[in-house]
Amino acid sequence: MKITRSGYAGIAFTLVVFLLLPAVANGQWVKVFTSAACFTLVTAGIAFMYSRLGMVSLGQVALMGVGGWVMLRMNHGFDFPFEINLAIAATVTMLFGWILALPALKMRGLYLALITLMAAGGIEVVLSTYRFPNGGSGFWGVLPSVAAPFRRPVIAESDSAYLQYVIVVVAIGFALIDLHRRAAPGRAWAMIRRSEAAALASGINVVYYKAWAFGLSGLLAGLGGALLAGSLGLLDSATFRASESIMLFALAVVGGSRYWLGAVIAGLLYRVLPALFNDWGWDADLTLVIFGVALLHAIITAPEGISGQIIALLSRKKRDTT
Amino acid sequence: MKQKILHLLLYALGMLLICALLAWGKPPKIIGLFVVSGFAVGSLYALGGIGLVVLYRATGVLNFANGAVGAFGVMLAWQLGQMGWPGPLTWAVGILAATLLSLGYGLVIAPKLAWRDPVVKAVATLGFAIVTLGLTAFIWDDDVRRFSLPTDKQAVMVLGLRITVTRMIVISAAIAIVLGIWLFLSHTRIGLQMRALANNRDLSALIGVPILKVETIAWTISGLIAGFTGLMFGDLIRLEPTVITFMVIPSIAAAICGRLNNLGLVLAGGLFIGVVESLLTLSPLLKQVRPIAPFVIAAIALIWMQRGQKLVFSRDA
Amino acid sequence: MKINNNKIYGYLLAIGTVMGANLAQADVSCGQNTGKAASGDAIKVGGIHGNAAPGDFSAATDAAAAYFNCVNANGGIHGRPIEYLVENDQWNPELAAQVASKLVEDEGVVAMVGNGSFVEMSVNAPQYARNNIMSMAGACAASECFESSNIVSTNQGPLASSIGAAMYAVEELGATNIACIGLAIPSVGNWSCGAVERYMTSKNLQGSSVLLNPTAPDVNSGLLEAVASGADSILINLPAGLAIAFLNSAQEQDFGDVYSWTSSTPLYDASVPGALDEYWTDKVFVNAELTTLDGQGPDNQNWLAVMDAFANPEDPRDTFSQSGYLSARFFVDTLQAMPADKIDDRNAVTAAIKDIKGYRSDLICGAYYVGEAKRHMPNHAGIMVVLKDDGFEKVRDCYEYESPYFAELIETEKSLKLR
Repeated sequence: MKITRSGYAGIAFTLVVFLLLPAVANGQWVKVFTSAACFTLVTAGIAFMYSRLGMVSLGQVALMGVGGWVMLRMNHGFDFPFEINLAIAATVTMLFGWILALPALKMRGLYLALITLMAAGGIEVVLSTYRFPNGGSGFWGVLPSVAAPFRRPVIAESDSAYLQYVIVVVAIGFALIDLHRRAAPGRAWAMIRRSEAAALASGINVVYYKAWAFGLSGLLAGLGGALLAGSLGLLDSATFRASESIMLFALAVVGGSRYWLGAVIAGLLYRVLPALFNDWGWDADLTLVIFGVALLHAIITAPEGISGQIIALLSRKKRDTT
Repeated sequence: MKQKILHLLLYALGMLLICALLAWGKPPKIIGLFVVSGFAVGSLYALGGIGLVVLYRATGVLNFANGAVGAFGVMLAWQLGQMGWPGPLTWAVGILAATLLSLGYGLVIAPKLAWRDPVVKAVATLGFAIVTLGLTAFIWDDDVRRFSLPTDKQAVMVLGLRITVTRMIVISAAIAIVLGIWLFLSHTRIGLQMRALANNRDLSALIGVPILKVETIAWTISGLIAGFTGLMFGDLIRLEPTVITFMVIPSIAAAICGRLNNLGLVLAGGLFIGVVESLLTLSPLLKQVRPIAPFVIAAIALIWMQRGQKLVFSRDA
Repeated sequence: MKINNNKIYGYLLAIGTVMGANLAQADVSCGQNTGKAASGDAIKVGGIHGNAAPGDFSAATDAAAAYFNCVNANGGIHGRPIEYLVENDQWNPELAAQVASKLVEDEGVVAMVGNGSFVEMSVNAPQYARNNIMSMAGACAASECFESSNIVSTNQGPLASSIGAAMYAVEELGATNIACIGLAIPSVGNWSCGAVERYMTSKNLQGSSVLLNPTAPDVNSGLLEAVASGADSILINLPAGLAIAFLNSAQEQDFGDVYSWTSSTPLYDASVPGALDEYWTDKVFVNAELTTLDGQGPDNQNWLAVMDAFANPEDPRDTFSQSGYLSARFFVDTLQAMPADKIDDRNAVTAAIKDIKGYRSDLICGAYYVGEAKRHMPNHAGIMVVLKDDGFEKVRDCYEYESPYFAELIETEKSLKLR
């Protein structure tokens, strides 16, 4: 299989952050980057659906909450190792996403976005009422005192090792998307993107392949949520509000949905920038204003997103030099 | 028209059915209380939904910032009230401020996104919403406040529940706006142009519909409604900018019930959501997750609307 | 005058004016009281509050910062100043964990003081235990904060305060069936209203919980649910904004005289009388976790003086501020009693804090102690006030709350000879 230039860049970037981040970041920033990496994975799912199929999901952060919920439920309910729980959380989220999406997949554009937003609103209500399992008894598993311990992967018990672990999973996630893009589903998606009628005429099962895409990005959201649960050892419903889902989609557009770099930029904007502002002691309300202005500016001036601008800049330089 | 009547009948039927299901075996007096209370909440959802749909129809922008500009308006009205300004003047200034904010976005930023995906347009308004919310929350530090109207003190009894005049204003305003907009669209030239724009933007531009003028009017009307809604939310829900700002999400649910274009159905859908949400209190199992009602109902409405069709919302494709 | 922009503080203003005239900086009492600025290496202390929409819990860290400034200006601790590092969790659990890592791991603070948040304690309690650091919190609002080995708070939280309000409703207002209105959050509403129900059962009376979803715009249904439960008394156990919305809704129905009304501490806030209609004057009885804000005891007066001299004029003077001040004062007293060469050693500081038994102050009714335990709630006695036009009036002085929940605490107190 041929690896593209962007693929080489991605592998190089992964290696650099894998080796560099845990070495230079202290306790606080290791946690910040771990969060950012989890959200990068989720954004990758949002961005690929948007750029490959024109499908908009405003419910991915809520799906992430589902993945996190399952992860904590498994952790506190059974004695399986981390990886098995991770796989189960991702699979359950994928199925959950499917169930939500199947009736919606015939819809397009804004209406698909709205039904996913409604799903996100519903999930927000359920999560904020029942909360996340923290070692209590019963199905919901919530106890009023401090959470029971969370088992991280055996090879990544410390915070910095866990960050490396998350980076590897994120890289695998990107590779998974790329594999799909090169195989049968990818060809079907390209056809659907061009014209649904033409795809239908050439015998492609449009709903099936759309559902496939939705399932893949649900899987990535589930992984992201489960990894985030492992970062803190617990989760809070405030992280998964419906408004956060809209926000992450916005940042996926700002980052640029066509390139892997866009998802990374979105993850950094979503988690690293607010942490920086907080570190500088800026008022939380003003941070919101800056964030909003930046969002508007990026959406208006960069239809291809920030990563699109960076890549255009790089390729122009290349042309100039050759 | 037939379709519309069918929808209205279905809402009415569904409402009755769910009422019967939830209220089975409870004393009628209690049911009456919850139904009336549900209408009171539902009219707020409906009002929010109407503001969204009026703009969406004319400009194709689903404005997430409606709640935020309303929140700014009511906070400003409260502030002026604290400074001793007479009530009606503060309300007018509050509504005007919300209108100007909304119009400002509509004239300065929205045109730059005119040719983008409807979703990107909607998401951009989220950027505007958080700018407005951030400024509002920065100016008015977190504190307990109360915004009240003189009409809060007068009330009538309906089925054993006291309904204040403010709540009656909300529901009659919702009905009046629906009727008013309908008359405006069907009897004025601008209304005709607005409908043309809603149907096909490119064609309307070709045949010489003055897009800028029509859109300015649409943003103004929706800003006025957003400002009024903000005042009502501030009085009847809570005077907290965050709460009012994110009331836009259940309002979208009401808008969806009217498939984003039919104001009558938005009104019916909003009321329906309110009543179901209120009646869920009677169910020991579901009462804790009552606020889920708008989302479930909107999702069902969406799925119902696209039954048997391949591409439902061709306008949007 | 520093606080005169807060119109509700009518009577406080009077006191403030007197103090402004009489109490120069020298009249505040902080630490060594030497009047000389501390010098040398700073002792690092951390604090985390939540301040973003929809709430500001920074009052406790503001007051702790004011007291630490005062101590630094008055000889410090063993002559050394305190460097107080305050972070904001913005109600975001991830941010809460990040800033805790920053303070505990990167900055190496010896203890956390004055923490105030809904989020921070539940997220960070395991991290504090792992790092063997104590948090002397000031503004706790959820169960995790009281049921953790390494957190001890000066305030009472919703459980104790609601039981206090329920006792007053039963003993003074003749309530026989209380509906407790709480948030539908397991570690907040379910936890505290559940305790009220058990208290009512233990008295052979009736109690029920009405839990409001924090995302719900509508409080009317909750009110109707309380009515349908057949209660004769309603206990409001909600954050102030939601509580006011609830009372407005009850006023709409003219229920002011139909039920007796009590509330846990959140309504004991200076802006509440201005935000509620006069309708509620003399009708709402509120439990206060610490002494009244205008309390005449020397420690409360010292709190006000410290705030005037060392805090920003706009920092709130409320219950959380009192409790942050008190946490800071007890912390300074503890460090002062340690050998000078041990105060940079986190393990030694933790041991010294856990060894606190029986500090007293006129700000709290009982004694403050810590001890080695899975649960900490030293403050479980309070006072009741009633809402007036422009403020509050004390209607019942210090009384101890009764509940099976406190049995274990009372055993500890007996073993420490605090009873």
